Amino acid sequence: MKPNIVPEENSFDPRPTLRPILVPMGTFAVVREENTLLYTSPLGAGIAVAIYDPVTKVAGLLHSMLPDSRINRGLAKARPGLFLETGVTGLLEEAFRLKAQKENLVIYVAGGALILDPSAYFNVGLRNYEILKSTLAERGLAIHAEDVGGQVNRSLHLNTARGEVRTQITGQPEEQLLCKR
Amino acid sequence: MQTIDSYVDKMRALPPVPRIVPQLMHLLQETDVDSSRVVKLISFDPALTAGVIRLCNTAYFAAGSPTVDLQDAVTRLGFQQVYRLVAVASGAKLFSQSQAGYGLEPGELWKHSIASAVAAQLVARKVGENENLVFTATLLHDVGKIVLASALEGIYVKLLRETEANQGSLMEAEKKLLGVQHAEVGGNLLKRWKFPPSIVSAVWFHHNPQSAIPHHRVASCIYLGNMVAHFMGHGFGHQALAQRGRTEAMTILNLPPDSLPQFMIETFEQLRLVESLISGK
Repeated sequence: MKPNIVPEENSFDPRPTLRPILVPMGTFAVVREENTLLYTSPLGAGIAVAIYDPVTKVAGLLHSMLPDSRINRGLAKARPGLFLETGVTGLLEEAFRLKAQKENLVIYVAGGALILDPSAYFNVGLRNYEILKSTLAERGLAIHAEDVGGQVNRSLHLNTARGEVRTQITGQPEEQLLCKR
Repeated sequence: MQTIDSYVDKMRALPPVPRIVPQLMHLLQETDVDSSRVVKLISFDPALTAGVIRLCNTAYFAAGSPTVDLQDAVTRLGFQQVYRLVAVASGAKLFSQSQAGYGLEPGELWKHSIASAVAAQLVARKVGENENLVFTATLLHDVGKIVLASALEGIYVKLLRETEANQGSLMEAEKKLLGVQHAEVGGNLLKRWKFPPSIVSAVWFHHNPQSAIPHHRVASCIYLGNMVAHFMGHGFGHQALAQRGRTEAMTILNLPPDSLPQFMIETFEQLRLVESLISGK
């Protein structure tokens, strides 16, 4: 489902028209433009990590599928975004290259859906979230707001004009604003 | 509450049954496949004929000059490719409407079905099951949702509340609200369409693979393919992941517990190829 990027008719919404950039699974994108909407396809058990520096206006979005790259080192080299561990590194490196400052970074996270499985046999979503948290912690970074877990399939939209993050659940028309925890 | 039969009886409005799929499946299981019979079967359907020729002429398969001849295209592609194309093309017609009762937009159930089928086929390959049979069964595993979508349309909010409040699965909520669930409705429909018992049974029990004995291995492949698709975000609609974990699917197929991420990676790579084939680019 494509995010809603056109302001409603007759509204006095001052939003400029945003340039949408899809971030498919296994990739990340970093921009330094204010009029962009970075958005993922639905995440499933995968996780989206959005970063935003409100001072330099650098914004980035990662869409990972699995926690760590030990399962397939070769693929991780070709597609670092597929794994959270290598994806976060790639995302941050690119953001810093565009002059984002670590102390300014605001981090939003969505995804990591789970099925009903008390045995935790099928807990890919949970392991994704745990690895992400430890990967960020190692770098002295924390999550600002998140929408993770549950049985819903959602996507994440990052509006670089406002530094605003929304999530959208498949099958539900409205987007949800991702607020500070 | 209605019975499975009464739901399926209402299905006269469905697009034409992919009749050619079971026939083609029987034909391809013969040891010495007669290609002229395959060609004849496909040639009854102009859209399929065009699809097979187009696939043959895409960059991926094009070796030498493009063909306009169906027999030539079938020979060049090989039976397995033709079979999968026919299964995909037949299903696309069937799944093309929206299933608003499940919060599904047009095409979403179909995308989920293709991703699941690709994943299940990889599982089948790994454990030595019949790949074509598993592919087709998985492609059609949610066909019962097409039948139930209209019945759910007025009450899907109730369905959602039911799954959220009780931490139950979507299927259990269907059973409670409608008296039937999509897997048994789908199995019943495929039985009427004369699909082989293995497919009927595996679809019927794709959320409880153990119950599909003696076809529990096929059912387990569908279960895992469905799960891989959901984990990769190819699951749509409300409460898309509200389904029960069935560890027996792994034990039935003798797979180690950590196989799922590996199947996700293989499916990721395979889907990129399939998408380019389907879009014809």
